[in-house]
Amino acid sequence: MPLDYPVHRRTLPNGLRVVVSPDHTVPNVTLNLWVGVGSRHEQAGRTGFAHLFEHLMFQGSRNVRSGEHFEALMAEGGRLNATTWFDRTNYFETVPKGALELALWLEADRHAHLLDALTQENLDNQRDVVKEEKRQRYDNQPYGTALIDVYATVFPEGHPYHHPTIGSMEDLDAAGLEDVHAFFRRYYAPDNTVVTLCGDVEPGEGFALVERYFGGIESRAEEPRPTLAQLEPLTAPVRVERREQVPNDRLHVAFRLPVDGTDELVAATVALDCLGGLSTSRLVRRLVRREQSAVGAHATAWGFVDGVSLGFVVIDAAPDADPADLEAALVEELERLAADGPTEAELEASIAQSERAWLSALASQEERADLLSRYALLHDDPELVNTHLDRVRAVTAERVVEVTRRWLRPESRAVVAYLDASGDADATEAVA
Amino acid sequence: MSTRPAVLDPEPWVFPAAQEHLLPNGVRLLLHDLPGQYVLSLRVVVPGSLADEPEGLEGISSMTARLLDEGTAEHGPEEFAELMERHGMALGAGVSDGGLLVDVDVPQAHLPTAARLLTEALAHPVFPEAEVRRILRGRLAEIEQERASAAHRAAREVAATLWDPRDRASRPAAGTVESIGRITREAVVEHHARRVGPQDATVVLAGDLTGTAALEVLTATLGAWDAPRHEPGSRPVAPRPAADRARVVVVDRPGSVQTEIAVSCPGPDRSTPHGWAPHPVLAFVVGGSPNARLDAVLREEKGYTYGVRASFRPRVAGGSFVTSGSVRSEVTGEALELLLGILTDAREGFTPAELRSGVDFVGKTAPGRYATADAVADETAALALEGLPLDFTTRNLAALRELGVEDLDTAYRRVATGEWTVVLVGDAASIVPALEGRVPGPVTTVAR
Repeated sequence: MPLDYPVHRRTLPNGLRVVVSPDHTVPNVTLNLWVGVGSRHEQAGRTGFAHLFEHLMFQGSRNVRSGEHFEALMAEGGRLNATTWFDRTNYFETVPKGALELALWLEADRHAHLLDALTQENLDNQRDVVKEEKRQRYDNQPYGTALIDVYATVFPEGHPYHHPTIGSMEDLDAAGLEDVHAFFRRYYAPDNTVVTLCGDVEPGEGFALVERYFGGIESRAEEPRPTLAQLEPLTAPVRVERREQVPNDRLHVAFRLPVDGTDELVAATVALDCLGGLSTSRLVRRLVRREQSAVGAHATAWGFVDGVSLGFVVIDAAPDADPADLEAALVEELERLAADGPTEAELEASIAQSERAWLSALASQEERADLLSRYALLHDDPELVNTHLDRVRAVTAERVVEVTRRWLRPESRAVVAYLDASGDADATEAVA
Repeated sequence: MSTRPAVLDPEPWVFPAAQEHLLPNGVRLLLHDLPGQYVLSLRVVVPGSLADEPEGLEGISSMTARLLDEGTAEHGPEEFAELMERHGMALGAGVSDGGLLVDVDVPQAHLPTAARLLTEALAHPVFPEAEVRRILRGRLAEIEQERASAAHRAAREVAATLWDPRDRASRPAAGTVESIGRITREAVVEHHARRVGPQDATVVLAGDLTGTAALEVLTATLGAWDAPRHEPGSRPVAPRPAADRARVVVVDRPGSVQTEIAVSCPGPDRSTPHGWAPHPVLAFVVGGSPNARLDAVLREEKGYTYGVRASFRPRVAGGSFVTSGSVRSEVTGEALELLLGILTDAREGFTPAELRSGVDFVGKTAPGRYATADAVADETAALALEGLPLDFTTRNLAALRELGVEDLDTAYRRVATGEWTVVLVGDAASIVPALEGRVPGPVTTVAR
């Protein structure tokens, strides 16, 4: 049975898609914008640019001085930020109802008139800030660059998901003001954007307010290129090994998966749950609980829209374990799942945990707004927040077997191994 | 539309009231009925003090907490885990300086099963030898993971430098390699029997309780929890600051591209007789946003960091004021000098504009911060553990609105005396020379 969160939608004449979902339990409104641009749209030599651009959106626009966006909203009790990911950039604030118009005005000013306030000084400053973000979150963390290796290993050179959202230091250095102008004109446009209001607002009032502040912005987005064809699974295993100072050996085993929005991806997610996504998953039972050759095992699927999604298993080796044995055990479990399928208990556990996670996400106005924007922008169907669980519940053992046999074959794996090099003479050497 | 719209005042708001009951075994039950919150949040707190841990077995409280759901008299460990997962239940358990906290989130329909399993985990865990060994090994691996993370490593060194070495607070709550190595199954069984029980315990349930018969369900489960040997824990006391805490410690990580900076001093807990209200405001104006004093310079002007945050960290008893963030290695000396200068200059006083922005941020974000069942349950459970009245949150918001600039100034000067414990995690060879003349007190270097 579908959930019944109210979902009202309208498209303004300039192409802006607007979603309003009233919820009067708290006197707040979340304003959430998804712009249809992420790192998958970046050109060679300009990786990391979508994210750097997102930082510049806080440095002032025609009627707003640098830093004022944060300052003005926080002083009214707003909680806000922005994030960039492969498929999109999002901007969000949760404000007391009385500050909703201020939030809309501030967002509209930067989404329409960012370039009026852009300066070389702001660009240079935020480039430095983003480089520190990269150092803090990736370069100075144990295993911090592992997923960057995963993307580069499982997706082919030149594919939109081959490089990470954070980009490279060289490309960040190369970004100039002219890139900011071109990027803004190409992607930041009402016909490439979704605005969601979720909270203490009625649909009529919400649509009128969005129209008042965003209705005058001209549509100008370029026709997006069609998404790429589905990338087929790898036909032979690929490996990258890195020897670094890490606390323990860690294996990342990645697979290409069907694109977001398909029943196949939902079934693949259940398959990954059976392998490593639950505390009763096969790898956890076998490697962590029984053999105790691993101290942790996890599995995740990330849905993407441009021709492929990503699934990966992460295994943390116990101190005396041989990573090769762990990998061999994973291969065995993949083969077993493909042969026998999930048990009834596994299917039930995966569905029950998905339900709790989904309902917990929707319990928060912020996350509900984010999911509405996501489904409106990427799938043109915000109602998916209400129907997603039905899709999960419809997964059968047969479907799990099918997707495991097609997408999670042992020979389709890409392995990124981070091996402890304490004691080695020459750390950080890459053996590809 | 270039006309900036006016902002209307927010509606009055109070923290959701709890309905209070006493279960048959004396456990206090607090129910928050929150319509529309379909995942229920169940919390159990058992007050106690980490100082009650047996000599040499530090971390045993944490390990006991982690082992509660690893096998009970009724269900084996894997069977128990499977039952939880098939009912969409998630269980976590840990300890703070003030006691045990167990949290469970579960969809509405599965409350009876969740309450039953939680009661089993609290009352009848059997601590199978194999699971005890596995959880202890897991803690050893976690210690290595924490050592490898600059932020965790800094936090550990701050505790060791800020607090008197004889004080429990100077060492990790979950234990060290040495203390974990001494823990046995027998010790865990004994610790559980004495320290985990219903005396002084509080149960919190928040969420949409329509049709759940919550009181009946909890009366039949947690209300029947019995632990004949349970001894109420002692009241935690605030840790003593170390006499030599005003110094700089560099944790050496050769080749590190950034330096993690942590600057700390003792601070209050939420029951401070001087009033808690000014402290979150101070944290906001000093280091709670990109426009706060620290990031206005270190991030927005200099571009040295992704962000530096200042926060008060109340324990059940005592607490600390911590400023932390990471900067690229080359600017460590200058960044630290600027950071300490900003913290010290703040003793000169705050502006009315800062007061207003901080009071408005902390006060007006409250409805949103407490909008979900888990946030409400967490706050009420924290109040129970801290021994604070249930109207604390609402009264604190009222006190917040009455604050003047002098209240901020007084509260800041009381805490920020200038005696800073400074910990730097980074490449000692390059950063130590850069500290020359920029920091007060002695500089010592320790291995990673």
